Amino acid sequence: MEKRNDTAKTSLLILPRTFTSTEANKTGSWRYLRPRYEEKTSPCSNACPAGEDIARIEMLAEEGLFKEAWETILRENPFPAICGRVCFHPCEGRCNRKEFDEAVAIHQIERFLADTARKNDSKPVIVGRNEKRPEKIAIAGAGPAGLAAAYFLTRLGYGCEIFEAREEAGGILRWGIPPYRLPLDVLQAEIARIQDLGIPIRTGTPLGPSFLSEARGKYAAVFLGCGHSRPRGLGIPGEDLEGVEEGLPFLASIRRGDMPKISGPVAVVGGGNSAVDVARSVARLGGESWILYRRRREDMPAFETEILQALEEGVKIRELLAPVRLERKNGRFVFTLQPMRVDGKDVDGRGRIVPDGDVETMEFAKVFKAIGEEAGEDWYRPPAEDRDVLRLSNCTVSMKPGLPVLVYGGDLAASLKSVVHAVASAKEGAIALDILFREGRENLSGGLLKCRVGEGPSLSMEIHLGGPRGRRSSHIVSYSEINADYFQMAPRITQPRLLPEERLKGFDEIDLRISANLAIREAGRCFNCGLCNQCDNCFLFCPDMSIHRGEGGTDRWIDYDYCKGCGLCAAECPRNAMVLEEEKGS
Amino acid sequence: MKLEVLDREYMYPGHVACPGCGAAIAMRFLLKTLGEKVIMVLPACCWSVIAGPYPQSTLKIPVIHSAFETGGAVATGVRAALDIQGDTETMVVTWAGDGGTFDIGFQALSGAVERNENFIYVCYDNEAYMNTGVQRSSSTPYGAWTTTTPGREWKKMRKKNIVEALVAHRIPYAATANIAFPEDLVTKVKKARDTKGSRFLHIFATCPTGWRIPSEMSVRIARMAVQTNIFPLYEVEDGVRYTINYKPKEFPVKEYFHLQGRFQHLTDEDLDHIQDMVNEDWQLLLRKAGERTP
Ligand SMILES: Cc1cc2nc3c(=O)[nH]c(=O)nc-3n(C[C@H](O)[C@H](O)[C@H](O)COP(=O)(O)OP(=O)(O)OC[C@H]3O[C@@H](n4cnc5c(N)ncnc54)[C@H](O)[C@@H]3O)c2cc1C
Ligand SMILES: Cc1ncc(C[n+]2csc(CCOP(=O)(O)OP(=O)(O)O)c2C)c(N)n1
Ligand code: SF4
Ligand SMILES: [Mg+2]
Repeated sequence: MEKRNDTAKTSLLILPRTFTSTEANKTGSWRYLRPRYEEKTSPCSNACPAGEDIARIEMLAEEGLFKEAWETILRENPFPAICGRVCFHPCEGRCNRKEFDEAVAIHQIERFLADTARKNDSKPVIVGRNEKRPEKIAIAGAGPAGLAAAYFLTRLGYGCEIFEAREEAGGILRWGIPPYRLPLDVLQAEIARIQDLGIPIRTGTPLGPSFLSEARGKYAAVFLGCGHSRPRGLGIPGEDLEGVEEGLPFLASIRRGDMPKISGPVAVVGGGNSAVDVARSVARLGGESWILYRRRREDMPAFETEILQALEEGVKIRELLAPVRLERKNGRFVFTLQPMRVDGKDVDGRGRIVPDGDVETMEFAKVFKAIGEEAGEDWYRPPAEDRDVLRLSNCTVSMKPGLPVLVYGGDLAASLKSVVHAVASAKEGAIALDILFREGRENLSGGLLKCRVGEGPSLSMEIHLGGPRGRRSSHIVSYSEINADYFQMAPRITQPRLLPEERLKGFDEIDLRISANLAIREAGRCFNCGLCNQCDNCFLFCPDMSIHRGEGGTDRWIDYDYCKGCGLCAAECPRNAMVLEEEKGS
Repeated sequence: MKLEVLDREYMYPGHVACPGCGAAIAMRFLLKTLGEKVIMVLPACCWSVIAGPYPQSTLKIPVIHSAFETGGAVATGVRAALDIQGDTETMVVTWAGDGGTFDIGFQALSGAVERNENFIYVCYDNEAYMNTGVQRSSSTPYGAWTTTTPGREWKKMRKKNIVEALVAHRIPYAATANIAFPEDLVTKVKKARDTKGSRFLHIFATCPTGWRIPSEMSVRIARMAVQTNIFPLYEVEDGVRYTINYKPKEFPVKEYFHLQGRFQHLTDEDLDHIQDMVNEDWQLLLRKAGERTP
């Protein structure tokens, strides 16, 4: 169809006029690199033992979609209000933003989202399977592991029943961690949400060893989350003298509301979270706290921020002092202590300690032992690995004939003793049982591999349930893959906190709330590594009009008929949500 | 990034610009801002080819291909013809390369601007005669390799400051823009659209082919030109009122030069010298913008 200029016939002016577009040239044939949309895994979500979808949570929080962000946490972790407070947040240690200015304050945003949901009395809507399964599951212990196991298993359709030895649920969260770090109402609100799912918690019901065999027929599986409760002794003369107390019962009495008066110098032996919490509680009750630890301060297993706050509150730490003997003289405890020094390395990489010189003595009005606990009963312990016993990352699954399937989780089996590891073990156990019951034992390992976040070991319930997160690649985005030109330096928010002198007046929570404005600003610092937030850079910078958007600008696709493979879309994607691959040829 | 521009595209795909061509990106932003009431004058340049071989066109607006040196003159004529028809709505836009602007088209441009012809003149600057195979122009920067400044004969003259030359005409509006800063570019196109008389936009447009860089670096290099102060973003109203639109991070120029094949021969001393020139130009601009006392 040629539309020649008619004037050409009648005058001398010949004007060639174009009458077709360049669309006939399929410039896609020039391409030797092919861009493609591919969302990836953020390092923080991989580092989170609960596999929370942090990059997405921050994206939603930045947009002010607080409820959606909170629900996104709840898909992977039933306890955002607890973990926002007491988790040691390994996510932040792996945050890519750390290499730009400072890590995103992920835990503060988590706590903000949880507190906001509670303030608004939000009811979460969690999408994903809930069709009823025939198998019933009994859960021993209502600590974080048992509660989380019930939460995940209920979501997968299994009827659950929790048996708890003590008079209230919560485990260490209820009877260990002091209220200045985890207020009671916060814990109770999280537990209530689990009960709202229709899960019965039978308190005051300790299970005995016979339960495991009796459970057969009634329960297809038993999840054991009994925690650690038996104190490990110091093994020194005098440790059983009257007035020498265990740390955990002392913390439990505080959580029960007794506030014993304490005065004078108090020794707290140990270096873990228990020791630090005991020492800080003693300081609040009027005592003068001395933490005595046999290794160096940097070897203390307690979380660093806890140690720093304890020091601010006047707690004194004496490192490299091993207990030798305790005696009572004139109503005081005389503690004989052996100074130690570091000599080489232990198998676990910490400094090996050996005695160094003469013993010394210190006098105390009171002594607490807080060197840690172990399983309260031998039958709580996971059996050794064999044909029927599978040791997973954070739980152990025993499939011995004649018994229900037993899953040992929480402190009994996790790689690290922490709340989020208890949640991780519960999720791993729940997914393992689900695969076992629905697809059979032979599919267990493969099924677990499929729901890893990145390279694991953290797992995603959303991926297990076939949610969109499963379409992301397991590639973990590194800082060098972020286009930092699109981000401005901005300092991380500081945690508003009670002053040390205010803290010592009682057991009030010391970390204060942050405002919605601050939370949005902090969430806005997140790179959202690996995720598309529809910034449109790919679309805008395409020189070849080869990126198309759907209704409302949400969906994007590439027109390979014309895309020349220049790679600008992938290079200008701020957050590495695209890849550029060698063209394999047509 | 959200741009306040039209949803519609005024370019078809299938054009033959090199992969990653900055000039294609620049045109896309311009037309998405101006819309279809535009007649474009296109002196010989890469864009003469990108616009399509007869009988194809990649642009959805009327285009007049003109002789290399006549961008200013042809636009004057088109504007006069439209005025005679009583069409004051249609804008006349000349779209020319740096060769067609800084060099051969300079007298036509200067004449049109001196007469304050009512049109927008856009120079997309890829810093050489790219269409004919990378020959140096007066816009080619100090230090660059081109096929006419090869080997040790790399260009030893400074890049001509075209905006200042137009400012000397007291042009109502002159501005620099850059494909890596689309928001700023779009704002300036709008400002040009809403100004009467002659308007000049100098758009930095990376040429991966001529600059010897990978195509996916095209926008990054353009961004660095601004961040190193090599190509500051500023505008001048009525030839006197200067505004610097973006205060860059002032990265050392080295980083920009190291990434490009056309600068590979430069030594550290050469780069130090270039840094001094860039600093000097920036100080001069700050003074003109009243941000430093002389
Ligand atoms: C003082 C202290 C402070 C800590 N601080 C932190 C912290 O800040 N952050 C952090 O991440 N981690 C912290 N931890 C570790 C963390 O609390 C534990 O890792 C976590 O609580 C383990 O959860 P769990 O469910 O396995 O066990 P637990 O919390 O111990 O719960 C076990 C539950 O099982 C019940 N139970 C036991 N036996 C039976 C039975 N036979 N039948 C029925 N029920 C039974 C118990 O009564 C208890 O309620 C702290 C620990 C201590 C001791
Ligand atoms: C009078 C005249 N001389 C030479 C040419 C050949 N020619 C066509 S385009 C071009 C170079 C254009 O360079 P520039 O204006 O910088 O645009 P670019 O191709 O770099 O985009 C030349 C020399 C011509 N068309 N007319
Ligand atoms: S920037 Fe955001 S997504 Fe990336 S690692 Fe940090 S918190 Fe995760
Ligand atoms: Mg040129």
